[in-house]
Amino acid sequence: MISGLFYLLLFPGLLFQVICSLFFEWLDRKLLARFQRRVGPPWFQPLADLIKLFSKEDLLPEGANDLVATLLPLISLSAVLTAGLYIPIAGFTPFSFEGDLIVILFLMSVPTLAYYLAGVVSVGVYSILGGSRSLLQFFSYEVPLLIALSGPAIMSGSWSVEQIMISQGSMGPFILFQPVGFVLAVVGLIGKLKRDPLDIPKAKSEVVGGPLTEFTGAKMGLWHLVMNIQAVLGIFLLTNLYLGWTKTFNPLVAVVVFIIEFLVLVVILSGASAIYARLRIDQLAGLGWRILVPLSLLQIGFVILMGI
Amino acid sequence: MNKISIPIGPQHPLLKEPLTMNIDISGERVLGGTLRLGYVHRGIERLAQQKTYVQNVHLIERICGICSHVHTTTFCHAVETLLGIDVPIRAQYIRALMCELERVHSHLLWLGIIAKHVGLDTIFMHTWHDRELALDIMEEVSGGRVSHAANQIGGVRFDLSQEQEAMIRKTVNDLSDKANTLMDVIENEPVLQARTKGVAPLSAETIKNYCVVGPVARASGVDVDMRRDHPPPPYDRLTFNVITRQDGDAWARTVVRAEETRETLKLCHTILDEMPDGPVSVRAPRKVPEGEVVVRSEAPRGELLYYLRSDGSENPARLKVRTPTLPALNLIPKQLSAIHVADIPVVMAGVDLCIACADR
Repeated sequence: MISGLFYLLLFPGLLFQVICSLFFEWLDRKLLARFQRRVGPPWFQPLADLIKLFSKEDLLPEGANDLVATLLPLISLSAVLTAGLYIPIAGFTPFSFEGDLIVILFLMSVPTLAYYLAGVVSVGVYSILGGSRSLLQFFSYEVPLLIALSGPAIMSGSWSVEQIMISQGSMGPFILFQPVGFVLAVVGLIGKLKRDPLDIPKAKSEVVGGPLTEFTGAKMGLWHLVMNIQAVLGIFLLTNLYLGWTKTFNPLVAVVVFIIEFLVLVVILSGASAIYARLRIDQLAGLGWRILVPLSLLQIGFVILMGI
Repeated sequence: MNKISIPIGPQHPLLKEPLTMNIDISGERVLGGTLRLGYVHRGIERLAQQKTYVQNVHLIERICGICSHVHTTTFCHAVETLLGIDVPIRAQYIRALMCELERVHSHLLWLGIIAKHVGLDTIFMHTWHDRELALDIMEEVSGGRVSHAANQIGGVRFDLSQEQEAMIRKTVNDLSDKANTLMDVIENEPVLQARTKGVAPLSAETIKNYCVVGPVARASGVDVDMRRDHPPPPYDRLTFNVITRQDGDAWARTVVRAEETRETLKLCHTILDEMPDGPVSVRAPRKVPEGEVVVRSEAPRGELLYYLRSDGSENPARLKVRTPTLPALNLIPKQLSAIHVADIPVVMAGVDLCIACADR
């Protein structure tokens, strides 16, 4: 009971994930600012923003469904927090079971669908436009992302993240065998997180704020939290699937290696948002289905051939 | 899909100045749009009739926040033509130098905005940082970064010292390096090209029918530049290249402006090299003899036209300003059909709108 509460609320549950997400947001903003010759925010800025949002007035336009609009970020938050319980952190896996990778991927798609619904229930024109864009984007990145992420699973012969990490301990990190798969997974993750350069659903100069245009106050704060936790979990998942050899090290070294891998991935994500322009939605669909999907299938074929 | 109408403006992240576009879309396709203007109409032309010529120089400067100097230069040129006074050559060169620096920072500003609209915030931040150098020169020589108060009827209000000239040369060299780097980046940036190539192309014929001027016209192969075609002094003594492209799409407009920035920086050096010594202003009478005059000059966004009629008093009888943005605005609804919603910012920003100029 006590240990269960500890897992849920402190580590690897709520508190740890919130702290990680705030740290991620700060690091991301700081790196981006430095790339762009700006100073960037101080370390407490994400927390201050969150507190500010939670203390602000909560408004929705007339005709919006307030109950659904409140539930959507809460459902998304609980989905990502639950997914976080199953993602190993530096080789620490309290709830691992066969097939947890599928559960994680399912739970992490919940926010995208909720994001779309948020656009529809908050009745603004920009919200609806952004919502339909987010679904179109979902169909473009999700398929190559899922195919790419099944690569490590096929290679190790298990759908458990822990098992995948154990096989990497003996075979070496999977990024060596699946570099293409890793790149596809990073692109898919950027699409999933709707980060620059794939921030099509919330492109400011086109659809103002996308589905969240009409959201304010605490709901907006929750959405920010969801997005950042999702980003952190996505990075953790990629670290485990492609660089997940930490299971074999002694715990202290494992923690250090895990942190370094996390930081490297954050730099990759921030760098991508600094150097690439935003694609158009039809260009993204073309990229997804004409380039990413064939590449991911090739990667899978390569993995299967290696297994034989 | 159903037709929905999205309002862009008067407040929208896309716009830096207020105007309203009501755009009809179906899914991600744009069907068309209507334009509404007049949010920053300040009645400057009417106000100018109630002020003296000397006061008007400062009033005219407030028409625009970016190309303020070219407005006053054109106005002073008009008044000086009616007065029949010869402005000292050195003053003409200082005016031209300020105009060219204004063109540099206006184009850099625009390049940043187009980059921002396609999601390339890094280039936006860097170009706007580089633009500060041009503003630094303005501040050094005139004391003002936005409104320079450089012109007076009969000349300019300050002279350039040796140190200032050296500082300008050094800063212009820095700017040239940065413009070259910028050109290098945007020529090798695939996504920026994918977003702007082939977007809303305009033929030379359309450009001529709508009387569009400036970089937008030059990007469509219409070779117009008032500095060369009807040169106000001292441009008749200066040589420079006019940059044109044939494609007429948003990418051609980007390249024309980026190339023009480099060409303009070269012209700044030429102006400094050829600048003669001498006085910088002559005394002008307060009353302007009866008559009317049309003066044209090349603002950063294209041809700027001033019509001035005097009835022999201290105040102008009529002042008409035609800014380059106005014909470009007429083209926007035409461009907004059969494009993607994502291309709206590229189209709207592509013509480099200056609403404050257009509304006055």
